[in-house]
Amino acid sequence: MELSKFSVGYEGREVFWNAENFEGLLFAFTAVALAIFGYGIYGRWQMWKALGKPETRNDNLKERIKLLLLNGVLQVKTFKDIYPGIMHGLIFFGFFVLIFGAAFDATEFHIAEPLGVPFLTGKFYLIFSFLMDLFGLFVLIGVLMAADRRYITKPDRLGYKGEMDNTPDDAIVLLLLGGIIVTGFIIEALRIHVTNPPWEVWSFAGYTLSKAFASVDNGTAKTLHKITWWVHTFISLGFIAYIPYSRLLHIITTPANHFMSSLKPAGYLEPIRDFETAESFGTGQLEDFSWKQIFDSDACTRCGRCQDGCPAYLSGKHLSPKKLVQDIKTYWLERAPLIVAAKKAAGKAGEGATVEIPAPEKAMVGEVVNLHELWDCTNCMYCMEHCSSSIEHVPKIVGMRQYKVLMEADFAPELQLTFRNMENNSNPWGVGSHLRADWAKDLGIKTLAEDPNVEYLFYVGCSGSFDDRGKKVSMAFAKILQIAGVSFGILGTEEGCCGDSAMRGGNEYLSQTLMQTNIEIMNGYGVKKIICTCPHGYNTLKKDYPHFGGNYEVYHHTEIIADLIAQGKIILKKPVDGLFTFHDSCFLGRYNNIYTQPRSILKALTGMNLAEMERRYDKSFCCGAGGGRMWMEEHDGERINNMRTDQAIATNAHTIAVACPFCLTMMTDGLKARSMEEKIASLDIAEIVWRAMDIEEVKPPVDVCAPTE
Amino acid sequence: MNIVACVKQVPDTETLIKVKPDRSGIDETGIKWVMNPYDEFGVEEALRLKEKLSGEVIIVSVGPARALETIRTALAMGAERGIHIVDPALDSADPFTIASALAAAIKNIPYDIIFCGQRAIDDDCGQVGAILAELLGIPQVTVITKVDVDGNTIKVTRPIEGAQLIIESSLPCVVTAQKGLNEPRYASLPGIMKAKKKPVDVKDAASLGVSIDVKAKITKTLPPPARPPGKIICGEDPAEKARELARLLREEAKVI
Repeated sequence: MELSKFSVGYEGREVFWNAENFEGLLFAFTAVALAIFGYGIYGRWQMWKALGKPETRNDNLKERIKLLLLNGVLQVKTFKDIYPGIMHGLIFFGFFVLIFGAAFDATEFHIAEPLGVPFLTGKFYLIFSFLMDLFGLFVLIGVLMAADRRYITKPDRLGYKGEMDNTPDDAIVLLLLGGIIVTGFIIEALRIHVTNPPWEVWSFAGYTLSKAFASVDNGTAKTLHKITWWVHTFISLGFIAYIPYSRLLHIITTPANHFMSSLKPAGYLEPIRDFETAESFGTGQLEDFSWKQIFDSDACTRCGRCQDGCPAYLSGKHLSPKKLVQDIKTYWLERAPLIVAAKKAAGKAGEGATVEIPAPEKAMVGEVVNLHELWDCTNCMYCMEHCSSSIEHVPKIVGMRQYKVLMEADFAPELQLTFRNMENNSNPWGVGSHLRADWAKDLGIKTLAEDPNVEYLFYVGCSGSFDDRGKKVSMAFAKILQIAGVSFGILGTEEGCCGDSAMRGGNEYLSQTLMQTNIEIMNGYGVKKIICTCPHGYNTLKKDYPHFGGNYEVYHHTEIIADLIAQGKIILKKPVDGLFTFHDSCFLGRYNNIYTQPRSILKALTGMNLAEMERRYDKSFCCGAGGGRMWMEEHDGERINNMRTDQAIATNAHTIAVACPFCLTMMTDGLKARSMEEKIASLDIAEIVWRAMDIEEVKPPVDVCAPTE
Repeated sequence: MNIVACVKQVPDTETLIKVKPDRSGIDETGIKWVMNPYDEFGVEEALRLKEKLSGEVIIVSVGPARALETIRTALAMGAERGIHIVDPALDSADPFTIASALAAAIKNIPYDIIFCGQRAIDDDCGQVGAILAELLGIPQVTVITKVDVDGNTIKVTRPIEGAQLIIESSLPCVVTAQKGLNEPRYASLPGIMKAKKKPVDVKDAASLGVSIDVKAKITKTLPPPARPPGKIICGEDPAEKARELARLLREEAKVI
C-alpha cells in the first residue's frame, strides 16, 4: 500500500495518480486531437454553407432552445421508441455524466488543488465515484445493446430490404465507445489494486475488477496502469478527433437540427410564390433545396425509425425515407466539396470572379433519388413525426414532385387525368361540377348564395360531394347539424376542389388556382368559420389558405360533433352493438393532433366497446390515399389499404370507425379485397353518430307492386 | 417541317348542357370549355413530329374570343404560334364555312402537314378536315391512329372494322386524328407561362377574304328525350312473371 493524504473521513484520490508527469504530453495530444476535430468541423461548415437556398431557422429563439433541450438534451423524441431509446439514452446520459466527471477531475487538479480548496473529497467524492462507475456501466450496457442490434438482432430498419447498411464506421464508433469505458475501468481497477483504500468499494465497478488483479505485484500493476492510461487517453482523444469524420458527427448535427426544427404547423409546405418570374419550379437539383433541407441529411443517423412505420416501405414499395435522405446525403458529399473548391478558386481569383460550379453529372430527381420512391410516398408524415433527428422528409419529396410535374410534366398518366379533371370540373373524378350539390337536394340546406348569414360554412369537399359513400357521410353530418340547431350553409355548386391532392401531387400551380378560386368565393360571402368532414380539406384550408388571403377558423367535423355531444345538443339514444376500432387518419392525427375528439365521440355511445389497433395515434398506419396516392395506381408490393384493413380485422372489431372519406374508401375497398364486407362495416364517425341519434324514421319499404291510384 | 394543327373549343364532356328555350342552340352560361380531345391528339402528334424533325407548329382555330384560351393551351403544350379567326358570322357556321376560313388562313403560311381532329365532340360533324383538304387541293388521310413521316411521304394507320389500313400519301396532306394516336402531354408550367407571350394573330373573315357561303344550317337543337321510367313486373308466380317479361321484351321493347 502506498502512502496517501486521504483517509477514512477524508476520502478522495490523487487525480493524476501514477501519471503525474504526463500532463504536458496529454495537453499536447489533446491540442492535436482538437485541431483535427476543428479542421473537420471547419470543412463540414464550409460544406454546409456551400449550397442550398436561403431559409430562416434561427427565429423565435425561446421556442428553439426549448426544442433543443427537449429533444437534444432530454432525448424526448429518441425515447419515443423504447428499446433504442433506452439504448441511446444509456450511452448519451452515461457520457453526459462522464464528461462532467472529467471536468470535475480537471477542475480539482488544475484549479481547486493548487488553490488549496480541493472539493473532490469526503462524501462528495464517494458519491461522485459511485456515479462515475454507474454511468460508465450504463454506457457499456448501451454499447452492448447497440452492438447486439447492429450485429446480432439486426432489425430490418437498420438496413434496406433485408440488407444491413452497416459500415466500418459503425463498428469503429462502437469500439471507441466501448474502449473508452473498458480502459477507464481497468485504470481505475489497477489504481485501486495498488492504493487499495477501503472506501473505494464506492467505485463498485473498478473495485470489483481490481479483484482480478489480485495476483499482480504493485510494480507490474503500475506499469500496466501507465500503459492502459495512455491507451485510454488515445482512444478518448481519437474519439474527439474522429467526430467530424464519422457518424459521431450527429453529436453536433442532430441537436443542431432539433434547434432548427420547423416551427410551422405540422406538414407545412412552403408555397411557390413567383410563378410569373421564376424560371425553375420545385427541386430539380441539389441546389434547389434549402440549406436546411440539405443539412437535414447530415443529421440523419440511419436509425431507421422512419422506415419502421413507412406504409410505402412496409408494403414492399421502393421508398424508404431513410434511404431517400441518405441518397441525398451521399450526393451532397460528392457535390459539396466541388462547390467549396470552386468558391475557393473564385476567391483566389479576386473579387468579382464568377464561381464556376461544375455541372452535376447526375440528375438528382430520377438518378440520385429514385422516381418510384418519390411517388410512393403517401405524405402520411410518420417519418417526420418519429425522426429522432427532426428531419423533414415530406417537403423534400413534394419539392421533387413539383419539379417532375411543373418543369418536366413527367408523371403518372392517371395523375395527369386527375389534374385535368380538377382543372375542368374542380374535382378529381371529373364529374360535372354542376352535380356538386346534388347530395343535399332533399335536405333543405341553404347555400351561402341563398343565405350568407350563417355561423359556419360546411365545406363539403369533393369526396363528400361526388363519391357515393362520401355523400352519405355529408348527409349524416348535415342532418346532425340540423338537429343540433347549428347555423350553417354550403357553397353548393360554387364550391371547388380544396387543392390538397394537387399540391401534394406536385401540382402547386393547379392547387393554388383551386385554392384562390375557393378563397374568392368564401371571402365574397364573408366566411369566418368552416367545418370540413375531410381531413385533407381541413388541413389545407387551415394551413395553406392563409397564404392566399383565406383566413378562417377551420374545424373538423369530429371536433364539432364532440363539442355538440359535450354540450348535450345531440343525444345518442340508441345503443351500439359489437366491437369498434378507430383508424386514425394521418391528416387528422399526425398533421393536426386530433386523436381524442373522435374517440371521445365513440366513448359517448352507449354500449361502445373500442378495440384499438396496434398502430394507432401518432403511430397510426396510413390507409394509402394521402399525398395524391388516392388517385394513383399501386403497382408495387402489397396494397397499403389491405394491410391497414388486416390490422383492423385483427382487432376482431365489427365496425371500423374512420373520420376521413379517403380512409373510408380505402377501408371499404380493403374489406372487399379480404371478403369481409359482410362481416365488418366501415363507417364514418358522423354516420355512427347519426344512427345512434335514432332520429330518422325508418322509411317503410316501398311496395312497387301496390296498385297505384 | 411546318405543321399546322387545327383546334376547336368545345364544351367539356361532363359539363351541363342546356338547350336554349327557343331551341336555337345551347345555353353557354356556366359551360366549361376545353380543347376538342381529337384535336388534342393532333396537336400532340404535331409536337412530336416537330421535336423529331424540327420545324414549327402553328395552331389555327375558328371560334369566338373565348377560343383564345384553347389556342393558349396548345401553345402551352409547345406550339410556336397561333392564328385565331374570330368573326360573329362564323360563330354558328357550318363545316364548309369553317373549313373555308381555315383554308384561307392556312394557304398563306407554309405547311407540310395539317392535323385536325377526326371530328369535334360537340356537333360530331366530322367534315372540316376533309373539306379543308379539298379546298387546299391536297390529299387527306382520315381517322388515323399512327403517323410516320419519311422525307416527303407520310405513312399512316387507319383502323377499320376488323383490320387496319396502312396508307401512304405525299406531303403536304391533311391528317385527321383518332383516339389511340398518342397520349397528349400535360403542359409544363414554364410552357404555360411562355404560352402567355407567344404570338397569336387575330383575323376576321374579311381580312382573310372568306365569303360566308353557308351550305347547311342548324334549324333546331333539341335535348335528348328524357329516359322513360323502368317497369317492374309484379306478381306472385315467378313463372308467370317470366312469361310477362318475355312478352314485354318481345311486344313492347321488340328486342327478342
